[in-house]
Amino acid sequence: MIDSLVSLGQGFAIALTPMNLLFIFVGVCLGQLIGALPGLGPSAGMALLLPITFGIPPATAIMMLAGIMYGGMYGGTLTSVLVNVPGEAASVMTAVDGHRLAKQGRAGAALSVSAIGSFLAGVGAVIALVFVTPPLAEFALSFSSPEYFLLATLGITATASIGSGSPIKAILMAVFGLMIALVGTDPILGSARLTFGSTELLDGIDFLPVAIGIFGIAEVLASLEQSYDSEPIKTRLKDMWLSGKDWAECRIAILRGGVLGFLIGLMPGAGPTVAAILAYVTEKRFSRHPERFGNGALDGVAAAESANNSAAHGALIPMLALGIPGSASTAVLLAALVLQGIRPGPTLLVEQADLVWGLIASMFIGNVILLVLNLPLAPLFAALLRIPYEYLAPGILVISLVGAYATTLSLFSVGLTLFFGMVGYLMMKADLPRAPVVLAVVLASLMESSLRQSLMLSEGSLSIFVQRPLSAILLLLVIASLLLPLMSMFTRHRARRRSRNEQQISIATK
Amino acid sequence: MKTADIVSAVVMLVLSGVVFATTRDLPYWADFAPGSAFAPFWVAATGAVLSIALFVGALRRQTNPPVDWPDRTGLQRVILTAAGLWAVIVLAPIIGLMATALLFMLFLLIFVERRRLVPSLFTTALTMALVYGVFSAWLGIAFPKGVLGI
Repeated sequence: MIDSLVSLGQGFAIALTPMNLLFIFVGVCLGQLIGALPGLGPSAGMALLLPITFGIPPATAIMMLAGIMYGGMYGGTLTSVLVNVPGEAASVMTAVDGHRLAKQGRAGAALSVSAIGSFLAGVGAVIALVFVTPPLAEFALSFSSPEYFLLATLGITATASIGSGSPIKAILMAVFGLMIALVGTDPILGSARLTFGSTELLDGIDFLPVAIGIFGIAEVLASLEQSYDSEPIKTRLKDMWLSGKDWAECRIAILRGGVLGFLIGLMPGAGPTVAAILAYVTEKRFSRHPERFGNGALDGVAAAESANNSAAHGALIPMLALGIPGSASTAVLLAALVLQGIRPGPTLLVEQADLVWGLIASMFIGNVILLVLNLPLAPLFAALLRIPYEYLAPGILVISLVGAYATTLSLFSVGLTLFFGMVGYLMMKADLPRAPVVLAVVLASLMESSLRQSLMLSEGSLSIFVQRPLSAILLLLVIASLLLPLMSMFTRHRARRRSRNEQQISIATK
Repeated sequence: MKTADIVSAVVMLVLSGVVFATTRDLPYWADFAPGSAFAPFWVAATGAVLSIALFVGALRRQTNPPVDWPDRTGLQRVILTAAGLWAVIVLAPIIGLMATALLFMLFLLIFVERRRLVPSLFTTALTMALVYGVFSAWLGIAFPKGVLGI
């Protein structure tokens, strides 16, 4: 524990250098703006801005990108409350009650409680991160190839199990991601796979064209379908003060939402959106006035906003300690590490201690900056929502194209980015989840190499996956993550059939 | 949504078939360890099984929520934007990436989104200055230069 505090002190010394402070500020401001823009989430923003991090030191780049990730959680509130359009998916529950409150003349209170809740939950999650990450990374040092294969598999299967929507579609999209990752040269034997004779494909398909296309371009195309000339509800600085009654009503909601969000953030595949929805539903169950939920419940807003920020920070723990991203945003962050030439995994904390502790310290600083941006400066950011989105969309597309070119200096990469942009748009229309594709692309190489190494060690015997207790537990978790959605589908199907039968009986008896 | 699920299942089934067919000549097992076709085989097999499950599930489903397709104007905007994006790739080697990007922005703002001229010109100038400043001046990226030399 003392070691963690000493390391955190060193992290502050790194994060507080003028250059890092500047990039933390830039990151959280960009995150705030990206979160506020409807149609562009933090993962898309991070992917779009990844190419510009090539010119800055790795620690600074990661601090900036992480700033976009959690800044987006704060920014999404503005659009949800003032326009009734969630700026990003994790603010969907905030839009329900936040906008109702804004219509009742309480926009300031909704924004204020969101900012305070996000700040307290965010700082709480970072404190937990300080003490949980080092022992977890130390424990993970005993992992070998079977554990890594199972952990990477769990990262993918849990997306289907915990995430909202159809589990079959989620795993199918992960398979699509694995197919993309198979393109190129086999990492062990060196033979070409799925290159169709193209020399450009021999190096494989990079993560960036996939992420920029599937998140960035697809989301901009979808947002261009309709005009966003909205008139946000005005708010003033003096409306931002919370009364004693408001605070008494929300403090437990913030605590509950924060803890729940953090725990959900730890699970692979869940992420801030699931955390916000679960925290809102839980708060409604505990509330003395559940009837207010949906009609302007301040505690509902507090719980959802605390949970999404806490989950965004919590998701960093498996990424930093194990090298396994649990969400689309942490997958982009992991890709940024790889692009900077850093090997993620349990040794990251030892080999790149300055980077990890600098990043953790930067999140304390970033949350303080965001609190300032969202309390006294909220009306200023609200004014930015008056700029029609149509003026921003072409710029985002141009930055996507130029960014894709900058990664490999080849127009082929730009073509790939556009291709995945079109694929991503069609996936949105077909209600196919996009996060599993990106997660699978990131995890595929670890999955394949550790699977093949495991089978090499055991001379083809699958018993290697149950020989060590740790791998056996992980295997059970993988199986459970696959069975859980199947069981819930089966239960839902039976319930539907029973209600249909009951309806038929009641019609027959009438 | 039923049709969308069926189409998604068929596309994924075809992709699984392509993965299987194009890697079947590679070794599945090489001496002591899995070969190059090992992972593609299992990925294709999983893809095929899940595609069939999605296909059957879509056929058996009784409810059919509609796909969230855009209206005619929205669809027109999406198609024109996509066409503009592909045109950037075709024109970039001829007139340069920066010049093409500039034309693309103006095309999108003025013709597709029907925004006013002066704010559109201002937005384009600001974006191009930002892109040039960050990518060319700061990161030193050399963009393809066409006949115009920019």
